[in-house]
Amino acid sequence: MDNVYKPDLMEVTRIRQETPDVKSVSLRFLDSGRARDFSFRVGQFGIFSAFGYGESTFNICSSSNWKDHIEFCFRKVGRVTEALWKIEEKDVVGFRGPYGNGYPMEAWKGRDLIFLGGGIAMPPIRCAVWYALENRADYGEITVVYGARTVADLVFLDELDEWSKSERVRIIRCVDPGGETPDWKGEIGFVPHVFERAQVAAKDPVVLVIGPPIMIKNTLPILDKMGVKPASVYTSIENRMKCGIGKCGRCNVGPIYVCKEGPVLTMEQLQGLPADY
Amino acid sequence: MSEIISQSALRALAAEWIAGGKSVAGPARVKPDLVLYRVLRSGDDLLLEGFQRPSNSIKDFLFPKAEKLYGYKIRGNSIELIENDSPEPAQVIIAARPCDAAALPILDHVFNWDFHDEFYNRRRAATTVVTLACSAHDENCFCTSVGLDPGSDRGSDAILFALGNGQYEVRCATEKGHALFDGKTEKSERTGKAITGPEKRFDAQAVRAFVTTHFEDPFWNEHALTCIGCGTCAFSCPACHCFDIVDAGSAAGNARVKTWDSCQFSTFTAHASGHNPRPAQPARQRQRILHKFAIYPEKFGEILCTGCGNCTRNCPVGLGVLSVATEINHG
Ligand code: SF4
Ligand code: SF4
Ligand code: FES
Repeated sequence: MDNVYKPDLMEVTRIRQETPDVKSVSLRFLDSGRARDFSFRVGQFGIFSAFGYGESTFNICSSSNWKDHIEFCFRKVGRVTEALWKIEEKDVVGFRGPYGNGYPMEAWKGRDLIFLGGGIAMPPIRCAVWYALENRADYGEITVVYGARTVADLVFLDELDEWSKSERVRIIRCVDPGGETPDWKGEIGFVPHVFERAQVAAKDPVVLVIGPPIMIKNTLPILDKMGVKPASVYTSIENRMKCGIGKCGRCNVGPIYVCKEGPVLTMEQLQGLPADY
Repeated sequence: MSEIISQSALRALAAEWIAGGKSVAGPARVKPDLVLYRVLRSGDDLLLEGFQRPSNSIKDFLFPKAEKLYGYKIRGNSIELIENDSPEPAQVIIAARPCDAAALPILDHVFNWDFHDEFYNRRRAATTVVTLACSAHDENCFCTSVGLDPGSDRGSDAILFALGNGQYEVRCATEKGHALFDGKTEKSERTGKAITGPEKRFDAQAVRAFVTTHFEDPFWNEHALTCIGCGTCAFSCPACHCFDIVDAGSAAGNARVKTWDSCQFSTFTAHASGHNPRPAQPARQRQRILHKFAIYPEKFGEILCTGCGNCTRNCPVGLGVLSVATEINHG
């Protein structure tokens, strides 16, 4: 029987503790045929599981150009993530996916890219940044503004350094006021303000903004002032999901099933939808 | 000319199916004041008269309350998945109400757009639905307000019409229906007829127009004040299909299971972060009506409700689609 709920088995190949309560995990398919044939688009998500505890939804935060493994990143907040927190290298976890629409990286070709991320929202931005850097000639100026509450809450810090070495890339790190350490060299302030202060001179950019609702809300007027149209502003919706395949009835924002027609939506799309997210 | 069968022959036939290894489900009195669809042990278990409709629905037999998706064994850091590929046993649902049978084509869409849920499909393929047209309706029935009627054979493989004197006319609608009844009926001149439906109780288009334009509206607060979020409406609905996926058993592991869920439960949309887009009952009531009258129709072209009245009949505080829809219509 073709069982759409059956996960692939994946071996944990690497675990990195990013912050006191965030880890990123690398996985490879145990089935060699599946490993060979697997592909996805950055921005898609997977349903990851700890056997004995349950399934949980995370963005696939590695680049789709990396063929030997995939990565996901999670914060320890509930039963399943508590169990995932305890996994070790060589352990086996479940994976279903890839699901959802992903970012239209093809359609973004030739445009300047602005990535704005807050807190644990970095993983779904990180995959797109890597993808764009790996296809550097296809995209214009790249700006990344990434902030968290405190210095200790910033994830993928070493990668931010790596990105800043690329051409035509501007990386701005920030922490909320009071979250800085004595030797903090980045900006202090909330992502929208830091972004506004940075006076990014982009022409007709694509903007990907992911973070807490308040961050997104405060970013939109700034983008509006810059003349960025809502159709060029993308986000990834975080509604709770279970099946990932349009059946369990859990993830909808109005008529949009986030697991199928999302999670990536433009602000133009969101403006036409009820605030059910 | 018509085909007819007597009540005693029908019971004998049900007994024959059971004896032949089929699982036969139909209305049965399980307590003095409770009639449920359930698996029948004998032809005499089958209850054919004296009640409006069972308090549950026939979806129980196609989309069970809990269904194992696969088992697993954990040994050190190796995992073995165990699937059940044994064929679904044939089942007959007898004396289903038209408002139950009509929900099956509705569920077919959900379980088959893009991804196919073979757990549902296999049961569906192994199931024959024999409907009994209604000969009465109560104050909670409203099939005619959602485009159905008490004699509808939508989703049925065969439909029975009571002729009085313990006789039923049998009309087979599909091959599966013929396979059950061919050679088991007698010729007759008599034809049956369902009752004329309950009068139209609300305008479904007006409900759709309201819900799509009143997302934030005091109506939901006023209306949902009494809802206790028990989920009875969804669990007894033939068309509600939301589910959860959970791990059952100890950490040593045994199974991942699909279980019924409801948009009326407080945890349904709660994010791990604590944020909940539908933080209280008004938003959850709105979702149920929105899904049934706007979201599902937009996707699949029909209403996610067959007018069975169960959600109103079974609600401990008198809510349910009928109450809400009439309130919207007349309010
Ligand atoms: S509407 Fe009625 S049946 Fe449904 S959850 Fe609320 S109280 Fe329970
Ligand atoms: S919504 Fe209520 S009336 Fe409609 S099919 Fe479901 S239980 Fe019956
Ligand atoms: S996650 Fe189940 S329908 Fe979208």
